[in-house]
Formats: sequence, C-alpha cells, structure tokens
Amino acid sequence: MDQQPKNQISKKGLTVWRVYGVIETAVIVLIAGGAAAVTYFFNGPWWLYAIYAAIPAALGFLLIYLFPKIRWKRWRYEVREQEIELQHGLFIVKRTLVPMVRVQHVDTEQGPILRKYDLAEISISTAATTHTIPALITAEADELRNRISVLARVAEDDV
Amino acid sequence: MMSDVRYKLHPISAFLNFIKGLKELIFPFIIIFGVNLFRGGGESVADRGWQGLIPVLIAGVVLIFMLVSGLIKWRRFVYWFEEGELRIEYGLFVKKKRYIPFERIQSLNYTEGIFHRPFGLVKVKVETAGTGKVGQADVELTAISREDAERIEKKMEYAKHHSREPFPEADNEVGEETETSAKTVKTIYRMSMKELIILATTSGGIGVVISAVAVFLSQFSDLIPYDAVYQEVMLFLRFGYLIVALAIFLILLLAWVISVILAIFANYQFTISADEDHIYISRGLLEKKKVSVPFKRIQGIQISQNPLREWFGYAAVTVESAGGTFGDKDEKIRLFPLAKKSAILPILGDLFPDMEWEPVMKKAPKRSLHFFYRLDFFWMIPVVGLISYFFYPYGLMSLLIFPAVILFAIWQHRTVGYALTGKQLTMEFRTVSKHAFFMVKKRIQAIEVTQSYFQRRKDLASIQATIKSGMLGATARIDHMERDDASRVLAWYEPSNSKTTDQ
Repeated sequence: MDQQPKNQISKKGLTVWRVYGVIETAVIVLIAGGAAAVTYFFNGPWWLYAIYAAIPAALGFLLIYLFPKIRWKRWRYEVREQEIELQHGLFIVKRTLVPMVRVQHVDTEQGPILRKYDLAEISISTAATTHTIPALITAEADELRNRISVLARVAEDDV
Repeated sequence: MMSDVRYKLHPISAFLNFIKGLKELIFPFIIIFGVNLFRGGGESVADRGWQGLIPVLIAGVVLIFMLVSGLIKWRRFVYWFEEGELRIEYGLFVKKKRYIPFERIQSLNYTEGIFHRPFGLVKVKVETAGTGKVGQADVELTAISREDAERIEKKMEYAKHHSREPFPEADNEVGEETETSAKTVKTIYRMSMKELIILATTSGGIGVVISAVAVFLSQFSDLIPYDAVYQEVMLFLRFGYLIVALAIFLILLLAWVISVILAIFANYQFTISADEDHIYISRGLLEKKKVSVPFKRIQGIQISQNPLREWFGYAAVTVESAGGTFGDKDEKIRLFPLAKKSAILPILGDLFPDMEWEPVMKKAPKRSLHFFYRLDFFWMIPVVGLISYFFYPYGLMSLLIFPAVILFAIWQHRTVGYALTGKQLTMEFRTVSKHAFFMVKKRIQAIEVTQSYFQRRKDLASIQATIKSGMLGATARIDHMERDDASRVLAWYEPSNSKTTDQ
C-alpha cells in the first residue's frame, strides 16, 4: 500500500492521451460552434457566446493538459513472479492485485492511434475480471505478454 | 471392449419437445390472433370467409410442424458411452454430435416435471465447466428413466476414479457397487412448513409478478386501441377513486397471492443433502428439481438478510459456484432460501468445516461515518429545495429525508466490516439488505483497493474482492475502511508475501 509499483507506462502514452484529449475537445468545440450558430440565428444575448467560448477552453485545459498528466503520473504497474500489481486513477486511486495463479490469458491490442506511436495495450484476464495496462511500447508489451503467460503457467496453486 | 449400446430417450420426450416449442411460440401466436381479432372490429372469424381462416391455417400448419419436429428430434437423439466420454448425436436437419469426457462433467441436475412423474422419468441437464459461449447450452436429456440416469452417474463416477481404464463389463458389477456405496449421502436439512410459509410470504416475488404483468402489458401497448380504452376508463373513473384504488389493491393482492403460491410450489420439500464431494439440493411440488453442486466448484458463500428478515433472525444463503450456463436462473444456487440464522450456522459449519462462520469483524473507524452520507447531499439538497419551493407548506415535509438518509448511513457504517482468519476473508456490508461474503484466498480472483482524494486525506480506503460466479464475477465491496486495513488485506492476499510469512 505504501510502496508504489515500480514500472511506469511509456512516456508516449501521455502524448496519446493528449491526442485523445484534442479529439474530445474538437468535438466539444464543434458542439459549442453549433450552439453559437443557433444563438446568432435567434439573436441570443451576448453572454451566451462567452459561455460557449469558456466551456471548451476549460474542458480543453482539463482534457488535454491536466487529466492526462495526473493519469500518467499515477499509472504504475509491476509484474512479479507471483503477482501483478496495478495502480491507476484520476480522482480515485485504484490498486489492484492479481495473483499469477489466477491469470487465464493475456492479450495485446493496438488501435490506429496507438499503432502510430508504436504502442500497445495489454489486457490480463482472470476467470472473473479483466485488467488493462493502456500504453506500452509494442516490443515491451509483447515481451511482457510472453513473460506473464510463462509465469502464469509456472505459478502453482499452493493454497 | 466398450459397451456400445446406444440409448434413446423415453418417447414422452417427443411430446415434451412439442410442448417446449409451443411455449416459445405462444407470444407470436397471441399477437397474430390478437391483431386479427381487433382488426375485425367485432365481426367474427367465420364472417370473413376463407380469408378469415388464414391465421387458423397458419397456426394449424405450425402446430403440425412442431409435432413432427418434436417426434423427429426424439427419433434422432441417441447417447452412448465410449472411451470415457458421454457421446450424443442429435439434430433435426443437421446431424450434430457432442462428445463430453466424463471428467469434464461438473454435475448432473435433475428436473421432474408433471409429465415426467407418472412414468418415473427425469430430465437430466449435464453441466460442464463453463462452455464459455453464450446460448450454447449444455446437454439436456429431455426424459430418461431413473435407472438410465443412475447409469450415467455411475459411469461418470467410475471414469473419474479410474481415468483411462475401460469401464468393466458385467462381471465387475460388484466392485462398482462398493465404489458407489462407499459414498453415503446424508440429509442435512429439511425445510419446515413454517419456514416455507414465511419464505413465501416475505419473498420479493411480488415485485417479479408485478413487473411480469407490466412487461406483459407493455408488449401489447401498440395493439391496444387507446381511444376506445380511454372512453371506458373515463366511465370507470366516474365510479370514483375508491373503486379504482380498490381495484389496484385487489390486483396487488392477487399478484401477492400468486407469488406466494408460486414460491410454495417452487420450494416445497426443500432438502439439502451431501456426500463427500457434492451438495444436493432438491425442491419443488409440481416440478421436482434436484441440483448438485460439487464442493470443488464453490467459490464463495453469501449470507443475506433483508431488514425484515434480519429483525426476526432469518437469513438466506447463496452459494457462488463457477461454471454453469449463461443466463441460467439457478446460477446462484440458493443453499438456504430462508431459515433461522442460528440454525444455518451449525449446518454451514458441518458442510464447510474449514471455514469460520462467526469471525470477529473489524469495523470501519468512526471518522469514516460521514463518508456514508456526504455524497447523498448532492441529490438531496436540490430535490428537497425544489419540493419545498413548489409545494410550499407541505413540501417542507421532504426535509425529513435528511435524518432518514443519515440514519440509514449510520446503519450502513455500523454494518461494514471484514475479518481475516487464516486463509479466509469475510466481508460484511449493507446495501439495504445485509450481506456477508465468505471467501477463501485461493478462490479470490483479484483484490482492488480504491482511495479517493477525500479518503486519502482521512487515511481511509475501500476494499473490493472479486470471485468467480457462474460465467461472470461476483464482487464484495466494503467502503471507507481504515487504510491500514486495506494494506493488511492486500498483504494477506499477496502470494509472494504470504509465502514468507506463512512458513
């Protein structure tokens, strides 16, 4: 609890989250633009425009700058011989402990944006839960996936 | 060599297939006929000439088709035992084969419907460890005689104990007898009539029935000619609200009575028995069900008490078990639908001697109390504000929500707790009902500790443990515990950690 897991995810993951943030902000800007057009059409009061400008700006700051930064700093993982430990979260920090014995299979996955940055995400599935590490260098992710699958096979149920 | 006798199902299963198909078609049927009746506007079917007969003809063809397909399904279905597998061949148009190794069979569940009874038959459902695919049900033998069911069970037991060896033929019959008779099934609990009645009358079944009626009505919402109905309703309303209220009450009462009767039918003669590796639960009046649960598959045990039952000292126990078919109603196996808690605990102690049933709970610290209601103010203040404003004098009554919610939070805070005893983790918490989860370390799939910003400031944390239940997971969560407790649970759970401390 007091000691954090030691590995961080790739620094490029931060960039990817920023890209996601830019996309989300762009959608919000479009909506705000639409609202502004409607307001203009119906001769709405001037302060509405101020709101339309302020909301995307504030959200943009949060989604592009602040949230990815906190999230990236928070995201930690550690794969040990006997267990996998994860820590992540924005407002609520979540620590997860998955024993190797419980791991059923490991997947890596790569969307178009992740591929552009040569990143991949790893999903670790137990019989009842799935846990994802979001951004690792592809080679690193493949290596980790193989390592977990070997460890999961070796780990014995001694309880 | 292997016995290669191919067994068939009892002929009654052709009829049962037919009934089953009919059940699935009942809704389309009602809709087809319903539409036609309404469209006719009072004019009877016969008045419309041959066109009026079309739906009847369609129905007739469908019925005959169902009857024939039921018959063919029965003719095509064979099962036999070969090389330690239960092999089944079936299919209406496409011939399908399914081979199930005996070791993979988790349990055989028996159901005796009203049509099975007179012939001494059972429906057998063969459950394997999570086939995984949704909709791909496990094998079901619609109707076989009791002796046949016992034969499958014996073969299965035999294969499990002597894997790889061929099943001995008749000469070894005696040895096999001793094999099975070594396992003594003893009855552990039988539900009394009093408990059955309490269960039926206090169960939440009433909600189910009401929602079923609501769903049923919503199916027809587009078909009901609202204009006509509206007129009727207006007429009805003129009789006064009293009658309306009375009608609603009567409907509710009827729904309740139906739910009570259904619950009594379903749980009649509820009996738990067990041998070394299975628990058997049998119940039912019209339809007798026997479910077997292998001890090995049990992932955790949950004791639940809704406030009313808690008050009288009653509790319900469910067993979370792995595998089973997806979307099955019996997925959570009710070990005790309802019994005195004081009577349950010794029986559980008998069934699971390794577990601690009344561990000393470590409760949440005092300073976490306000976490249990603080977030509620986000909805309470606007709601109370609006109600008080719009319904001014009487709306102020809504202020009573505050003490109610806070008292409820205090209750939740007092319930929440956990205990670590050896290899066992017990978690107790309250939604409205009180739940206690009993889990063994090796059955827990993952443990999560979460800490919000505010919890971190107060040095608190929430703990969550997930076990496998059916095809999915079941989660026990205790909120706002001491952070040190969270660390303790994590340390207890950590495999590499416990290795060093256990020895």
